[in-house]
Amino acid sequence: MFGYVNINKPELKMKDFFKYKAYYCGLCKTLKNRYGRFGQMTLSYDMTFLIILLTSLYETETVREQDRCITHPVKKHDTLTNEITGYVADMNIALTYHHLMDDWQDEKSLAGLTGAKALQRAYRRISRKYPRQCREISESLNRLAECERQQENNIDVVSRCFGELMASLFTYREDVWENSLRKIGFYLGKFIYLLDAFDDIEKDTKSGSYNPLKTICNNETFETDCRNMLTMMMAECTREFEKLPCILDIDILRNILYEGVWTKFELINTKRNSEKGT
Amino acid sequence: MINNPYSVLGVSPSASNEEIKKAYRELSRKYHPDSYVNNPLASLAEEKFKEVQEAYDQIMKERENGYSGVGGSASDDSTEMSAVYNYLDSRRYREALDALDRVPIRSARWYYYSAVANAGVGNNIMATEHARQAVNMDPSNNEYRSLLNQIEWQSQRYQDTRYNNTGNGGYGGYGRNYGTGNLCCDLWCADSICECMGGDLIPCI
Repeated sequence: MFGYVNINKPELKMKDFFKYKAYYCGLCKTLKNRYGRFGQMTLSYDMTFLIILLTSLYETETVREQDRCITHPVKKHDTLTNEITGYVADMNIALTYHHLMDDWQDEKSLAGLTGAKALQRAYRRISRKYPRQCREISESLNRLAECERQQENNIDVVSRCFGELMASLFTYREDVWENSLRKIGFYLGKFIYLLDAFDDIEKDTKSGSYNPLKTICNNETFETDCRNMLTMMMAECTREFEKLPCILDIDILRNILYEGVWTKFELINTKRNSEKGT
Repeated sequence: MINNPYSVLGVSPSASNEEIKKAYRELSRKYHPDSYVNNPLASLAEEKFKEVQEAYDQIMKERENGYSGVGGSASDDSTEMSAVYNYLDSRRYREALDALDRVPIRSARWYYYSAVANAGVGNNIMATEHARQAVNMDPSNNEYRSLLNQIEWQSQRYQDTRYNNTGNGGYGGYGRNYGTGNLCCDLWCADSICECMGGDLIPCI
């Protein structure tokens, strides 16, 4: 997806860092085993967070294995996989499929069509297994496309489409935690959408593409305004998160939610401010 | 409602959130239906399991300093605004928003109701803007100010958790610093802060 939901490495203990990596490698391996090399290419950090969150909440039995992989062929490294890794891998493919289809429909991108075709059979199988999630992904993306067509500049209205998409991925089961998971996903999704818009604002202004932040991006306080909005999203997200009885890997989860999610934002600001300076 | 949810979990009311989570985990494992298949105690365990779940939910709800919804309705509300109030009161936020759309005059109270409805459906940016607008239009109204304080308190809580952690230079800081570990104390602090600014989080203190 975007890679915005990541860890803040310097703040993380070494053992937690290696555990995080093992979850990440576990997802990579599962994608490769289920969907081949092409599936493996869809790997992202955002989804690793979802694995750790659901594993912590449901305390799912996890298998630790030693593996070699293409990026680290010499040294063996740990992978952590469980039932949730499989679920998240499937969701990742479903998202990628829709994303590629959108690229084909919007920009007539041939790469998009080729990619979508390659995933079509896999997607059909996933949508039979998880009809609710796949339906919600498709509906949210349609609403998002509509907002973009209408040049919607109400940030809540447009970002909620992506929030709802994430909300549906986060509800692994329809049980007592559904409500909290939905909200965590919803506000994290709004956060991701906003941060992505913030990241793309210069590019979109230049190319004349839609960006929901266009109406405010020339304000003196643009950076602060965005920071405040992003903080609001994470405040609501963590407010729900803190209600869940997560104990396992809690330091990793809090590292991501309180620090890691800001890494990209700070990086963009540092880059922009140094460009302004020169 | 359980009378004393803390005793169900076997913890003191001053227990930290982390302690409550641990107690919940232990008990829900102990009474999990999967451990009582073909066991005569199955129904008893299931009852206990549900009670533990309920106690946990209740404590977490009590401890969160969230928006408590809309306050009392104003006696001078128009028919349209009373309809909005009723929707808000029964947490039908979508319908409240639709009803608000049909109100032609945007008074301070309109913004207040709109803030509550928007917060309810997850439009937290608009909720903040409208709560602020209500306060700007009628700075003497404590209800409006209290809503704005409650909304802003969430961002403050998030920021404080971040800075406390980096300030302590170590991990595990979150758990320690997520509040004082004492709900009453946290609430009292939050309430005092709000009152300083003219609002009120808990009217009875």
